[in-house]
Amino acid sequence: MSITDVKPTRSELIATRKRIKLSISGHKLLKMKRDGLIIEFFDILPKVKDMRSQLVELYTAADKRLAVAMVADGKSALKSAANCRQTPPQVELSENNIMGVVVPKIKVSTIQKSVEERGYGLIGTSVRIDESVHAFEKLAEKVLEAAELETTMKKLLDEIESTKRRVNALEFKVIPNLEEIAAYITLRLEELERENVFRLKRIKG
Amino acid sequence: MEIGVIGREMFTTGFRLVGVHKWFSVNDEVDSEKAVKTALEDKNIGVLVIHDTEWQELEEKTQTKLSNSVSPTVIAIGSSVDNTLRERIRTAVGVDLWK
Repeated sequence: MSITDVKPTRSELIATRKRIKLSISGHKLLKMKRDGLIIEFFDILPKVKDMRSQLVELYTAADKRLAVAMVADGKSALKSAANCRQTPPQVELSENNIMGVVVPKIKVSTIQKSVEERGYGLIGTSVRIDESVHAFEKLAEKVLEAAELETTMKKLLDEIESTKRRVNALEFKVIPNLEEIAAYITLRLEELERENVFRLKRIKG
Repeated sequence: MEIGVIGREMFTTGFRLVGVHKWFSVNDEVDSEKAVKTALEDKNIGVLVIHDTEWQELEEKTQTKLSNSVSPTVIAIGSSVDNTLRERIRTAVGVDLWK
């Protein structure tokens, strides 16, 4: 609302003052929320960075092992080993709430299995395939941990940004604007009162 | 729920060795966007793993949608730094903390 649209009445002044009070308390709450989110973010950032570097190492190692197995045993041997895996790894996905931000929570059943539990014959596969399976099992476990952390961080960052915008809008636009309106109404009311007093004096005189 | 994998044949084969049944290969006929669309239609996928090369090929709109998705939770692997994430940190906090 701009200053020109305002009617300088006492009720409007009361309503504006109420809005100022509400905006100030909202601003305070949002500032607290932003600070809380930033604390959460700083808590999670080193974990994500560490997880990312571990993930790169594991992926490079797994990729190398797979390439070796592919060259030595052939694509068909790898595919037949892959087709023998009957039970897929199960994940339990639930939601967690951090200050109004919905983040994922992933619960994983054990992915790493012993050679006997993998479902393919011991004679039919080579050590290279076993090693690449093991490397990818380790990678998959880490990937799931990283997925939870990274998505949490991304969602926190989004919320920090939008909260920051709201805080700034209240601090630099909404509250000063409302205060300006309240000051204008007060001034106009005082002026009206002075005019009234002057008019009365003239009538009496 | 299960794990879904999107990437080139080599990448998906690796995860298939772990037992992942929901894999979507990207090749000359199927592009990344199409693979992602097919994967998202499967409601039984809880976590979607995508290779970084395919992630980079996605449109910005799809990337944003996937980044903010909780079900399925999406993760791109294959590179040390996710530049979009780095940029997001810089915008939100004001400093590049990924150094």
